[in-house]
Amino acid sequence: MAIINQATRELQVKIVYYGPAKCGKTTNLEQVHANVQNVQEKGKLVSLATSSDRTLFFDFLPIEAMAIKGFKTKFQLYTVPGQVIYNTTRQLVLRGVDGIVFAADSQWDKMQENVESFQNLEENLKLNLADIPYVIQYNKRDLPGAAPVDYLEYLLNNRDVQVPSFEACASKCEGVFETLNMITRLLLHKFINESQRKAA
Amino acid sequence: MLSLPQLIEEDVAVLDAALGDLITRSEATAALVIDKGGPLIIERGNCDDFDTTTMAALAAGSYCANQAIAGLVGESDFSSVYQQGVTHSLLVQNVDDQLLLVVIFRASLSVGAIKYFAAGTTQLIANQMVRARERAPDEGMDLVELNLADTSSLFQRREPAQQRAV
Repeated sequence: MAIINQATRELQVKIVYYGPAKCGKTTNLEQVHANVQNVQEKGKLVSLATSSDRTLFFDFLPIEAMAIKGFKTKFQLYTVPGQVIYNTTRQLVLRGVDGIVFAADSQWDKMQENVESFQNLEENLKLNLADIPYVIQYNKRDLPGAAPVDYLEYLLNNRDVQVPSFEACASKCEGVFETLNMITRLLLHKFINESQRKAA
Repeated sequence: MLSLPQLIEEDVAVLDAALGDLITRSEATAALVIDKGGPLIIERGNCDDFDTTTMAALAAGSYCANQAIAGLVGESDFSSVYQQGVTHSLLVQNVDDQLLLVVIFRASLSVGAIKYFAAGTTQLIANQMVRARERAPDEGMDLVELNLADTSSLFQRREPAQQRAV
């Protein structure tokens, strides 16, 4: 749940990148860190990884965006470890999450892992996925073995309410910012709607 | 899920005073109140030498990982985590279901003394959070002033030409 500090006029939100192992979650954060401009402040990208660069606990990137009408808006971007054995860690990282980017691997032989990871997300969230803003990113579109987007949509975005989805090649920074801006928009609009409903 | 209530100036003043008092009495270097999800809520003391935003995220992760370990050994929780260093040490103390107190102190200081003073501080913070929740029981969010007419370009990618120039 977002943290609102009226005294310091700060809004802090937490976005978690979720998905199967090696789907490009860490690469998304690396590209944001390397290429973002027009932000107030960009922190260090912290990676708690194994010696072979596999995420062990999480990656963390704090960014303070341009103030939105007087509010400092601090975004905290996290990834989870994708490997199946680290499920307890994924549960810890999801604590207090405000918005989710589900990164899927577009390669045909990763379809089962995509579906299992999505199911794992629903189990770990401890709340209804419909209650939290999320977007889907189909990563690695540049690889020759990429499945058609329609098929990925059928597999992962086939619910009553479809969520925004993006094709991406995170290693080339394609689709990375589009994905981030959309999840940001969804969750900020959710806060506004809740605020207005309670004020009414 | 329990979430942090909106904090108003009164809350921040109480937390600020509590941390200031802790630092004065314990001679700690810095003290932070953080959310268990990772965000930094308030900091006090000599924080310029530390990346407190990152520290908050890592301390919260470390504390929560220790709670999972507590469960594995049949404990309901470990109320604090202590990391001993050569120049600085760190104590992460549970406040309530939502918050943690992080105290950074010189390694030459006694952790027992830090824990003693921190206990009073966590109680003050917890009491203030109870008052904040009673003030806003539905966790109403006063964000109507936010203008989100255009969030499409909140984060802008540096142009490729700029990337090459860097």
